[in-house]
Amino acid sequence: MTAMPAIPLSVGASRVVRGVRVPHVCGDPALSEDRDHELRARIVTTALNALTTPVSTPTLFEPDQTVLEEVAR
Amino acid sequence: MAEAIRVVHYLNQFFGGMGGEAQAYEPVQVKPGPVGPGRALQGALGDQATIVGTLIAGDNYFTEELDAAKPAVEAYLDELRPDAVIAGPAFDAGRYGLACAEVCRIASARNIPAVTGMHPDNAGILTYRNDVLAVSTGTDSTEMVAILRQMATLALKRVRGTELGPAVAEGYVPTGRRQEVMHDKYGYERAADMLLARMAAKPYHSEMCLTGYDDVTPAPPLRDLKDAVIGLVSSGGLVPRGNRDRLVGSKAEQFFKYDIEQVGSLTVEEWESVHGGFGTLILNTKDPNYAMPLSTVRYLEDAGHIKQVYPQFFSTTGNATAVSAARRMGGEIASELTANRVDGVLLVAT
Repeated sequence: MTAMPAIPLSVGASRVVRGVRVPHVCGDPALSEDRDHELRARIVTTALNALTTPVSTPTLFEPDQTVLEEVAR
Repeated sequence: MAEAIRVVHYLNQFFGGMGGEAQAYEPVQVKPGPVGPGRALQGALGDQATIVGTLIAGDNYFTEELDAAKPAVEAYLDELRPDAVIAGPAFDAGRYGLACAEVCRIASARNIPAVTGMHPDNAGILTYRNDVLAVSTGTDSTEMVAILRQMATLALKRVRGTELGPAVAEGYVPTGRRQEVMHDKYGYERAADMLLARMAAKPYHSEMCLTGYDDVTPAPPLRDLKDAVIGLVSSGGLVPRGNRDRLVGSKAEQFFKYDIEQVGSLTVEEWESVHGGFGTLILNTKDPNYAMPLSTVRYLEDAGHIKQVYPQFFSTTGNATAVSAARRMGGEIASELTANRVDGVLLVAT
């Protein structure tokens, strides 16, 4: 789980989940508490689901895109 | 001609003719002259050197009882007074490779040139790459005689103080040392030659030797999250406030374990990040769970999405960390999690 997925993907980490920002990988303090809770749950759920997904090469898992777009703004 | 060079050879219990795994706890012992592959080694050394004794130890003994094995080897070396020590070859045998590397390090510490032979991925190389001179081998012990010949040549060079050429030319595993050499051609000419060779699909050797990363085989997927014990690891420099273990803010070589069995969430009153590579204001004034989502994982645990969170989390600082240190720490953390039957791990890398 990282805000800089290019690095773990380039060194061969098998399952990589895109986080938000380096200082707050697993959520976003700029969101309301409820939305942040939802975002955190999506990121962690994406990571847990990645553990159940077969991969053969380094693979990037994106948490729900609509939530992340809101975060990026 | 000068007196023949004295060589001590190291072998494990198998190549030393004692037996297989049942003899893997045999302590360090000595036999006079060459033993087993040592006879071929003596043939390769010819009349230039004599194997004065063969040290033999069980693989398990050497790696598990290192504190006893080391002084035993030291005592035998002091007694046999070799001019060179030759260990193995160990090919891809990890315990044997580690033992060979240790024997070489003991000899080197006594200013006795030492040579071993093993596969570049052997644990002996991964652990002591910079400390040992090892002929690069494959995994096939039928190469034994050819490898022993190379080891003999390198050992004799070392005893005579002959400077060694580059690893590729001499056939040893790169040790990470750099040496200045004079080329006949300027750099731009060599670069142009390489480019032309590449365009013509001809072989060429790059002068940039980049460290490669491990080729990691992905772990098979978990069948059922609801039945999974999940471990937590963070390189975000998270520690109990006060940093009692003095985790460093950069170039970490250590990781620490913290008990979270009774912890539902990481609070700023009790936890902090000592990471020196990014602004930790948010983690340290608002919510440390951003660098390790304990509160969210607990929420999912309570909801029955996963069976259990492993009761300790592993913490280090990922900031200008040496790849070798990261590899070692990762291996140690993974071993402990595996031994404790953790099914999957969430690792936050800041």
